[in-house]
Amino acid sequence: MAAPSRPPKPTAGDRLRRVLAIVPWIVANPGRPMAEVAERFGVAEEELIKDLEVVWMVGLPPYTPDSLVDVVIEDGKVWINYADFFSRPLRLSSAQALALLASSDALLSMPGTDPDGPLARALDKLGAALGSRSDDSVDVDLGAAEAGMLSELRQAASEGTEVEIDYYSYNRDDQSTRRIAPWRVSSSGGHWYVEAWCHSADGERIFRVDRIEGCRPTGEVSVYRPDDGEPSTEVFHPRPSDPRVTLRLQPRAGWVTETYPCQDITVNDDDTIDATLVVTAVPWLERLLVRLGPDVELVDAGDLPEAQSMAAGSANRILGRYRS
Amino acid sequence: MAKLERLLNLTAVLLNTERPLAADELRQMVEGYPEADASFRRTFERDKDDLRVLGIPLRVEKVPATQPPVDGYRIPADEYYLPDPGLDADELAAMHLASLTVRLEGLGDEEALWKLGGLPDDGGPAGGESLADIPADPRLIPLFSAINDQVPVTFDYRGTERTIDPWRLSFQRGRWYLSGNDHLRGEERNFRLDRIDSDVARVEGATWMAAPASEASGRTLQAWEMGEDEALSVRLLVDAGRAEVASRQLGAATSAEAQPDGSVIFDVPVVNLDAFRSFVLGFLEHAEILDPPEVRDDLINWLETLT
Repeated sequence: MAAPSRPPKPTAGDRLRRVLAIVPWIVANPGRPMAEVAERFGVAEEELIKDLEVVWMVGLPPYTPDSLVDVVIEDGKVWINYADFFSRPLRLSSAQALALLASSDALLSMPGTDPDGPLARALDKLGAALGSRSDDSVDVDLGAAEAGMLSELRQAASEGTEVEIDYYSYNRDDQSTRRIAPWRVSSSGGHWYVEAWCHSADGERIFRVDRIEGCRPTGEVSVYRPDDGEPSTEVFHPRPSDPRVTLRLQPRAGWVTETYPCQDITVNDDDTIDATLVVTAVPWLERLLVRLGPDVELVDAGDLPEAQSMAAGSANRILGRYRS
Repeated sequence: MAKLERLLNLTAVLLNTERPLAADELRQMVEGYPEADASFRRTFERDKDDLRVLGIPLRVEKVPATQPPVDGYRIPADEYYLPDPGLDADELAAMHLASLTVRLEGLGDEEALWKLGGLPDDGGPAGGESLADIPADPRLIPLFSAINDQVPVTFDYRGTERTIDPWRLSFQRGRWYLSGNDHLRGEERNFRLDRIDSDVARVEGATWMAAPASEASGRTLQAWEMGEDEALSVRLLVDAGRAEVASRQLGAATSAEAQPDGSVIFDVPVVNLDAFRSFVLGFLEHAEILDPPEVRDDLINWLETLT
């Protein structure tokens, strides 16, 4: 794992973890270069030598030389003998096993991953080693996307090239063709997103990959990267000028506060919830109101007086379809 | 340095012993313990804690033939050693890459990969950019252990105590779910982990029912497929301009008939009408429920309350 800062002085427990994993590997792989072992376990060679100096003192009573672990370092290579009790590493903790299975399953279920490749084989073998149904006990879905689309966007992001996309904006309920320069593709909350500079909007935008209906490379090279260099994880970008409305939600519509960013959430005595939402797109609010129906009441329309009649207007439009 | 050496020796001795060893025996056998009784006790207690924190299965059992009984310690080899999964270098590298690109919040660590053999020589994970951080839930570990140990669990869920034979944990649409056999309903149910209102307790010794072999695994269930309503098949017409988006959300399990004007009629299996209504209304006037009549009427009534 990428550990940007290693603690300056590892505790005895930290070193014990490492030694209990490294020793069995050296026992099983005799005579490998120290440099290779150090790199494999992400440890400096001097640290590794310090660890092995301790291992050399370990053994069983009566601690005569023939009952101690034998560590040989010669010509930069290392051997360990007489360490039968450390011939295999400690088993994985539940948390470790779960994390490995979840990461592997997530990547495997990603569109475009080879279902018979090395990762699939690794997951099968690990599952078998851990127990009967382990590899089938965790299932991670990072989101739906077309395999070709996802790899096209990831390639554009890693190469710094532009693509033209046909995008359906759910919030604005419209379709458009845009030229974008992607810099990051990632999954959040069960959906794939691409972060990009959008030439059509002349600004940074985030697009949901499953709402991109077509994607074509333009051949243009993109020079744009976000200022701070930090990948943005915030999918929602309200502007101060965006209008705010306050809704009173019945308890069973409480999912709204878990799903959309809300300000000033108040739970009233009758368990209804008052929440203020930022309206970045009017069709989004219209849809939310008609979906919530009798479970929502508009308490304060703020700068958006048309919100008062929005639900009724859109209900009438939909009803027109059913009555025709 | 001295402490690491002592902990290694203690682990070696406890792994090697056939019978539980008393603290006083360990004091004689393992080098590096203080002479004074009180400070030996303190050091030995801390050492036991250190081993347990690492996940080393330290067993406490009575030493045979002691009267009054004396506590003894050992590490059962079959619980300590990781069975060798026999990963080839490319497989180990793939697993490394997976754990770099998709992280389970607070749970993955490099020690797990050390135990599997570290990073293979040629396996420098190229392109290991982070693709996703998956949130963890405090109930994940007890549920995962119960699945592996095939032990039923109980917990409070929306005000009722449920007993479940746990089968699978799945992360879908940004949330963790447990699926398993629900003793209350006598069939499979899904539970959102963040709606479990209590600790997860194991029902040791109870019979655990296995998942049916035919059970389709891995498909993401939509909100309208997870519920307690009577199962219905609903015919839904979606206009041409929205049909592709609808088709992706409805998934391959839904049959679809393309119409000459580009619109599409879907047959959608529904067990949660509220969730389905909400999904349909998301299309505003670009979709229409055709059948069955009671579902169509339900939507009309809903809209009429708004006008």
